[in-house]
Amino acid sequence: MIEFTSTPILLTLILGAVGVIIPVISVARKEKGSSLYGAITFGALLSAIGVVIYQILAKNVTPSAIFSQNVLVDDRFGSFFAIAMLIVGIMTTVGSFNYMRGRANPAVYYSLILLSSIGMILIAYSTDLVMLFVAWELMSIPTYVLAGYLKKDPASNEAAIKYFLFGALSSGIIIYGISIAYGLTGSTNIEQVITGFSKLSPDMIPLAILAVGMFIAGFGFKIGLVPFHMWLPDTYEGSPPTIAALLAAGTKKAGFAAVLRVIIMGAIALNLHWAFALAVIAVVTMTVGNLTAIKQRNLTRMLAYSSIGQAGYILIGLSVAPVSPIGIQAALFHILNHSVMKAAAFIAVAGIVTTLGVTHIEKIKGLGKRMPITALGLTISLLALAGVPPLNGFWSKLMLFGSAIDAGRTLSWAPYLAVAGVLNSALSLAYYGWIIRKMYFEEGESNKRLKEPKSIIAVMIFSIIFMVGIGLYPDPVIQFAKSAVPILSGLPAIH
Amino acid sequence: MAILPFDLGFGLGALRVWGIWILPFVAALIIPAVAKGSKRATGWVAVAFALASAVSALSLLPSALGNHEIHNQIPWISSIGLKAGVLADPLAVIMSNVVAWISFLIFVYSTGYMKGDKDLTRFFFWMAFFLGSMQLIVLSDNFLQLFFGWEGVGLASYALVGFWYKDKKKDHVGIEGRHVLGLMDYYSPTHSGMKAFIMTKVGDVMMLAGMFLIFAFAGTFGFRELTANTSWATAMASQHLLIPAAVLLFGGAIGKSAQFPLNEWLLEAMTGPTAVSALIHAATMVKAGVFLVARLAPLFFALAAIGINMDQFFEVIAWVGAITALLLATQGMVHPEIKKVLAYSTGSQIGYMMMALGVAGLSKQFVDGYTAGFFHLISHAMFKASLFMAAGSILHVVGSRFMTDMGGLRKYMKKTYVFMWAAGLGLMGAPFITTGFWSKDAIFAAVYESGNTWALPLFAIAVITAVITAFYTTRMIGLVFFGDKSKHIEELEKEGHHIHETSPSMWIPYGILAVLTIGVGVMGLAFEHQIHDLFVNYLGSTFGITSNVGAVATESQPLLGGLLQGVNPIALVASLSAFAIGFGLGYVFYIGRFADPVKFVNSNILFYAIHKFFLNRWYLNALIYWGFVVAPLYIARGIYKYFENFVLEGFNVVPEKTMAGGARIMQATQTGVSQSYLYIFGVGILVVVFLLLI
Repeated sequence: MIEFTSTPILLTLILGAVGVIIPVISVARKEKGSSLYGAITFGALLSAIGVVIYQILAKNVTPSAIFSQNVLVDDRFGSFFAIAMLIVGIMTTVGSFNYMRGRANPAVYYSLILLSSIGMILIAYSTDLVMLFVAWELMSIPTYVLAGYLKKDPASNEAAIKYFLFGALSSGIIIYGISIAYGLTGSTNIEQVITGFSKLSPDMIPLAILAVGMFIAGFGFKIGLVPFHMWLPDTYEGSPPTIAALLAAGTKKAGFAAVLRVIIMGAIALNLHWAFALAVIAVVTMTVGNLTAIKQRNLTRMLAYSSIGQAGYILIGLSVAPVSPIGIQAALFHILNHSVMKAAAFIAVAGIVTTLGVTHIEKIKGLGKRMPITALGLTISLLALAGVPPLNGFWSKLMLFGSAIDAGRTLSWAPYLAVAGVLNSALSLAYYGWIIRKMYFEEGESNKRLKEPKSIIAVMIFSIIFMVGIGLYPDPVIQFAKSAVPILSGLPAIH
Repeated sequence: MAILPFDLGFGLGALRVWGIWILPFVAALIIPAVAKGSKRATGWVAVAFALASAVSALSLLPSALGNHEIHNQIPWISSIGLKAGVLADPLAVIMSNVVAWISFLIFVYSTGYMKGDKDLTRFFFWMAFFLGSMQLIVLSDNFLQLFFGWEGVGLASYALVGFWYKDKKKDHVGIEGRHVLGLMDYYSPTHSGMKAFIMTKVGDVMMLAGMFLIFAFAGTFGFRELTANTSWATAMASQHLLIPAAVLLFGGAIGKSAQFPLNEWLLEAMTGPTAVSALIHAATMVKAGVFLVARLAPLFFALAAIGINMDQFFEVIAWVGAITALLLATQGMVHPEIKKVLAYSTGSQIGYMMMALGVAGLSKQFVDGYTAGFFHLISHAMFKASLFMAAGSILHVVGSRFMTDMGGLRKYMKKTYVFMWAAGLGLMGAPFITTGFWSKDAIFAAVYESGNTWALPLFAIAVITAVITAFYTTRMIGLVFFGDKSKHIEELEKEGHHIHETSPSMWIPYGILAVLTIGVGVMGLAFEHQIHDLFVNYLGSTFGITSNVGAVATESQPLLGGLLQGVNPIALVASLSAFAIGFGLGYVFYIGRFADPVKFVNSNILFYAIHKFFLNRWYLNALIYWGFVVAPLYIARGIYKYFENFVLEGFNVVPEKTMAGGARIMQATQTGVSQSYLYIFGVGILVVVFLLLI
């Protein structure tokens, strides 16, 4: 049995207890006002991040990811994702302070963020398919509700319904994949499934491939891989922008955690040409995402497409993982960076929505003068997303493309991934640059400085420091990502 | 060192080195925050941090003088093997102290000079940034990190030269309405900032190329790593790439130090506030180039030990230095603007330093030239900072940049008058009592004794330049302080302005430096021997450059009963007579005013032509503008008109329309209808499974 003091259990207890208590408080409490719940949520998330860091520093965490007989394992891989997701949780929560002011049911809102965070974290720590599925649902169900949080707004309702529809479909598909895996191997433990797969008789292999295909589709829906991305722009656009930040920066990354835990390992066991399949999806995903983003006029929608494009970059690292040692490391690094960059961009939009009530790109002209800090935060996060040095996104993209070139020694087509990535980055600058241009180089309706929401400013300052700081001194994070890379050689020999 | 509760990975010694360059950056960061409270406080924050940085540098001096070196590295981006580090060897520590203390004094001066300016925050932000970048250059242990500082300095100079971005008439340089070869010789601050930035970029690009050429062979940017293992040099030499790479690196120094042919930006850089000019000319920016050469010269010279001849590289340095020294000195002789005269003089004096460092590599006594060049850097930093700040005071009082608008000021600004004489004597190289004399003499001696084929012509240029230097310095002081009051001043007085001395926060800084010029000058020879001995040890232990310990003393004759032991008699005579001739001529025309220089020039067509040639900057500036600004613009317009409009416009539509079309198709699939989404999802699963099966 997994120990009571292990990181995932502690996190579940802290976040779960607070998440359950907040609505109770709101029933008991007479006065209105949302700040209290936000503050409690912030405290819970902050202490959770403290626990993760303490556990790493106290060396209670298994240094590198291994499989276990338990349903959860307390390893660096999980901790890495836990930190990334908790940061996103904190940014979303703090960013919501102003957004939620005066809106209904704040207690439930914050509580759902906490519950969803537990789900995301547990996915990263799962070593059993059933546990992973439970965590997956725990993450998803609160976000269905959050996406439709603006009850009276039809767009928000549409967002939630579409999201739910696809969520339900992909959950079914994941379950289908799990049942095939169980049928073939007689276990739901990921390690045993992989061992079982590697010993399958050849005529059973297509079934195993079908299972992997199901997993790609099921998890790929959350990540926003093309062609499972269709719901994504509609949902991000319709939900509250703070929730869009949670979806794009948080749940998406949880999808990657699941992909890493399940598909990568499973595919290695099956010794498929899976690298090529992922590479094709990577290129298609980034191209479709960036190309469509160019034509968008709505900020949230543009960012939604941009996050599809970013998923394609991360997939480069995963697809070359078996042949390049830095593939997964680069992917992890970019996942962490992208969490912060994308969350910062969405929260900046949330700030614009709270203050000006607009998301259309023509309406943000002259924002550099009207909301200087928000505009600066948005600019830096966009530049980081585009991979402009010396920001953090530059280093992780460099490593991703570097891993593709590195893989060229064994896979002749791998360097083309880097070419596709660079071309796409250039393409993406077209629309990132456009936003920046509107904010700074075009005259707005007025130049009067507006009052920027304090909580948004706090998030902006944090993310600017994060992006510039890691851009200048990326080494510690790169090392942390390296230590979180699962050891592939620990797997049963198959080839 | 268990001072901190946790282990930082390096001791307090290294922490001090990091602090020297990080502190000014910290100041730059907090200055905007401080400005929210009080704008005036920004100046004091800058001063306080500059002082802290300077004290930190000073605390390293004792160990550096003992030839100890602190080299500390931390992993920067270890996945590609890059390390960040600081290297505090004697060269870096001495340089760092010069930079830190002079900058500190200039910062103090700035608080007075910039009083009342409404953009104090921006000013002090960039000043602190400037200082931090310069210290980063000085203390870096590798090329890449140095390059960050290098570009930081470039950026700060752009921002500060163009500081008065409103381009008011009084902030321009040059003479309005004057044309050279059909181009205006009159520049606005913003134009000058851009000019400085672009011209130095030419050098920077060369430097970047040189850096990466070496990196391609050596696999490291580290200075010590390059010294420790020289196999890269052998490999490069065998492909004839070593000298080109070294010269490319020197290209960076040419740009930054305003050497020929990238010298022209320095003159227009005078549009910045005078405190900035002082900083650029004495402590930062132009000295960065000299420092880079001082960093690299021993590295390349030491390659002689493995049989690689770097003579061509050092010849380039020596000649570039010599040409610049003469070129700019001649122009300084005729110019009417006080700051521009000083600017010409800076370029010229930097040329001396380059010449000395180049000659060092051409002679067997590497350390002699090396010491001479570096000693001149120190003494120049002192008197030039002082001269600029004094000139700034005068501008402040008179409200004009032209020396013809001054005159007779010695009665009104007594302190400035005295200090300007002291510092000016340093620049002229007044015998025995000024640092400038000893350092210039050391350069003469080094050039003369080098035994190289080029020794004599270089020596001649050096001496001629010294004559001119003494002349234009005397001219400057004469025009400003002697003679009658100019019409401009009389008008000022009529309007009720009172011509008076400036505030103590302004005259104390340049007073200190002027006094130091004389104070150190009196003991100049001993000072020089100190540096010499230190460099003998340093170059020997670090680069294995064995040299002639005590050779200076044995080779030359004891003069004046041993008082001047170690001084080359020919060099001594040359520098004495150069001073005498230059000063004498200057005295006749500008102080004693026995002859009218204007009449003298107009009396003879030859003199007139020469005068005009010098005043028009040897036509170099105009030619550069014709060749690199006017002509390309003309060509670009032609291309736009005839090529782009017809050829490209026709073709350009294709990629543009393709992109837009692609985007439209993608957009069209996004119908918003859930049924079609689910259909695509289903097809997607089949595609993925198919991809996995192939």
